[in-house]
Amino acid sequence: MNTRRLEEIRPKIKALEAMPAVPTIVQPLTSMLRLPPEEVDMERVVELVSYDSTIAAQCLRMANSPLFGRRDTETVRSAVLALGLKRVEAILLGCCLSRIVPADKWAFDAATFWRHSLGCALVSSKMAKLIGYPDPEKAYLAGLLHDLGILVNMIACTEDFRACLQAARDGRVALHRCEEEHLGFTHCQSGKILAEHWNFSADVIAAIEFHHHIVPESAARPLVSLVYLSDSLCRLRDLGYGYYEAMGVDLAGDAAWTALVEHYPALAKVDLARLTMDIDGAMEEIVAIVDAVFSPGQPAAE
Amino acid sequence: MGIGTAKPVTQSDATDLRDPAYLKIRDVIYQVSGIYQPEEKLYLLASRCAGRMGAVNAKTPAEYLEHLTVRANREAELRLLLNEITIGETYMFRSPAQLEALRRVILPQILEAKSALGFKRLHLWSAGCSTGEEAYTLSMFLREESEAMLKGWTVDILATDLNDHSLTVAKAGIYGEYALRSTTELLRRKYFKPHDDKRLQVTDPLKSLIRFERVNLRDDSKMTFFKGMDIIFCCNVLIYFDLNSKRKVMQHFYSNLLPGGYLFLGHAESLYQVDDRFHLVHFPGAIGYWKPPVGYTGGGKP
Ligand SMILES: C[S@@+](CC[C@H](N)C(=O)[O-])C[C@H]1O[C@@H](n2cnc3c(N)ncnc32)[C@H](O)[C@@H]1O
Ligand SMILES: [Fe+2]
Ligand SMILES: [Fe+2]
Repeated sequence: MNTRRLEEIRPKIKALEAMPAVPTIVQPLTSMLRLPPEEVDMERVVELVSYDSTIAAQCLRMANSPLFGRRDTETVRSAVLALGLKRVEAILLGCCLSRIVPADKWAFDAATFWRHSLGCALVSSKMAKLIGYPDPEKAYLAGLLHDLGILVNMIACTEDFRACLQAARDGRVALHRCEEEHLGFTHCQSGKILAEHWNFSADVIAAIEFHHHIVPESAARPLVSLVYLSDSLCRLRDLGYGYYEAMGVDLAGDAAWTALVEHYPALAKVDLARLTMDIDGAMEEIVAIVDAVFSPGQPAAE
Repeated sequence: MGIGTAKPVTQSDATDLRDPAYLKIRDVIYQVSGIYQPEEKLYLLASRCAGRMGAVNAKTPAEYLEHLTVRANREAELRLLLNEITIGETYMFRSPAQLEALRRVILPQILEAKSALGFKRLHLWSAGCSTGEEAYTLSMFLREESEAMLKGWTVDILATDLNDHSLTVAKAGIYGEYALRSTTELLRRKYFKPHDDKRLQVTDPLKSLIRFERVNLRDDSKMTFFKGMDIIFCCNVLIYFDLNSKRKVMQHFYSNLLPGGYLFLGHAESLYQVDDRFHLVHFPGAIGYWKPPVGYTGGGKP
């Protein structure tokens, strides 16, 4: 690993927070998301959403989409209630975080990126519930944020990252492999730096840092493994980065799987084929949510 | 598969569904073919029997049951009834993700392993090939690779089914728009010739790779003949088999496959709790079942 390169970009990452586009609501939002759902103050959520006209408009658009029966929702309040906390969170985070990446720095379609993140969030929390992991909300959040470092890399080393993505596409290989080769570090490390800087909780930081290679001594192993597995499943079910990754994965023989089974024996009994078909089934909702945030085809939400 | 796909039947068509003879006919079919009709689907079975009952002039299901069990020509009659029951829905290029996995992941892996041992032959099996579309699809696929990945290799496809009518159609290789709806213009021109103004016929290069044969997957002695397979496709065949017959068939497939070989099932099928010797392997958009080589100890990647 080329740590010098990472040190070079570290100041740039630190500077991200000062960028005008960094949404003031990221902080209150992430601390709010750490709460169990019953402790979340819905009025505060409505307030946060109303605070930002773009986000408010996107919530309304989503609430009025066919998925919610086009119910002529007019107020932000009723839109938030109709959507439910989860979807509002997804929209909020999606909007906020994509704004930190200027439109001309996106290496690929923003909608594709959020489809993957949201897919991973949904699969993580679903799997968490399946195996009895005590905090499915946390799994959701960690899934949503796991690839934060990709945003960082797009900003901090735009051209190099573009080259990585192109190489990954051409070789049909995993993106983090190409990052290792071309950048000397991966979005796991750069994501960790930003996440620490933004004071994310330790286990979410661990999920960001280790979601591509489980290390035995890593903290928060169950959460990390959940995110690792969800990320793999999404990339295998058309919720990846928009290109064909030539891979055949024996998930149940994977280190992440084995690590998780140690903590949750119920996992050994999960019907992976069915879970996979469930993901296919959830695709429609994922695509609808993401399309509510991003008009398809546009590089970033504005 | 067929029951119910050929002509629409409704519950009201069959008035005497509670006739216990249907349950016995169901059991006879199950014993010989593994095709199982749960109670809710008996009306489909009844409608298929109706045709044969007319032909042999049986007045009641009980009388027809005799034709299937005690009359001298019972085997022939059973075969005729099975032909009615197993009308196969199929078309070319039904599962592109499977082919992509074959092209990008599986074949490179198998070819490498085999050529290291000095082998240059590849054996595929379309088990439950119905009217042949799957077999011809594989044949096109292999032909397309014959100047690339498969240069210098000898390949063959075994295509088997229980249904004589389907096999006759398969051997003739004449297809209309329905079967060809996912076949590109390019491939049509390359591998087919006009038959009449609506249909195309496969050309010899496609046919010559395939051997069609009538095989009942439940015929235990026959099933032991097909050793040395690299990849088996048994798509949308086992859906009506009950657990026990699935297990039996899987045992055969497992021993027919070479170590390192793959089995593909249809999209909605899973081997969950059917057979745990196969490893479930995820590919983008597809799931395969892998027979690991001796000594495989896991590690995520076959
Ligand atoms: C729906 S078709 C599948 C065609 C093709 N594999 C595909 O997926 O497009 C199912 C076929 O399985 C065959 N089949 C059912 N039971 C069988 C058995 N016991 N032995 C052999 N073939 C069987 C039927 O005759 C039918 O042609
Ligand atoms: Fe990642
Ligand atoms: Fe990811």
